Amino acid sequence: MQVDVVYATAERQVWLTIDVPEGTTVVTAIQASGILQRCPEIDLKAQKVGIFSKLTKLDATVEAGSRIEIYRPVRR
Amino acid sequence: MLAAIGGLTALGVTLGTVLAVASRCLNLDDDPLEADLEALLPGAQCGQCGHVGCKQAAAALAAGTAPVTLCPPGGASLVRALADRLGIEPDCSEPSGSLRLHEAVIDEDDCVGCMKCLQACASDAIVGAPKQLHGVLAEACMGCGRCVEACPNGAIALRPMPVTLETWHWPKPARV
Repeated sequence: MQVDVVYATAERQVWLTIDVPEGTTVVTAIQASGILQRCPEIDLKAQKVGIFSKLTKLDATVEAGSRIEIYRPVRR
Repeated sequence: MLAAIGGLTALGVTLGTVLAVASRCLNLDDDPLEADLEALLPGAQCGQCGHVGCKQAAAALAAGTAPVTLCPPGGASLVRALADRLGIEPDCSEPSGSLRLHEAVIDEDDCVGCMKCLQACASDAIVGAPKQLHGVLAEACMGCGRCVEACPNGAIALRPMPVTLETWHWPKPARV
């Protein structure tokens, strides 16, 4: 099934679509997408993740068509 | 009490029947061409073409009063699809509406993560969650500016699209 992994800053947006097996967790999908290599500044221990604007845990399972999003905390 | 129940039921059934018959007999069929054109348009009702919404833009296209290049979010692929449906050759001689003019950018120092812009966005172009910085996916942004209006902190602005190989066009010759 296909899922999207996105990371968006004002300067640069990375939007990857990958194929993952059923029952994949959020963290596995993020690792499989290779987004961590493209954006080495991402720290999954510190940054929250979610699916379509809903915060989720890293070990939550993803459904087909999910847009997994990696967030950054607000600055103020 | 029975009389009241009976009366209201009779009233409901009668009026319902009248409405059902009226909707059948007085039904105005949408122009199939207009319906097809509307289905091709993005449906975001963004108003960048100068029409109130996509339905009105489709009506103008069907009437021939609007060029097929009217829709900025639709881009070149939409121009082709509309021209095919209308059976005409698109006039691409000059840059027109079908180049997305603007994209939204968020000032990250002013974003408080309130989610208002996400709710306003018709194309799911904004990534964010409560109390998390929001970011615009430029690929998905249609440049309609709804998020700019929705942001309570004035943290979103539209900036002109950067010139790329896809958007560059030869400038018009200067008039003498």
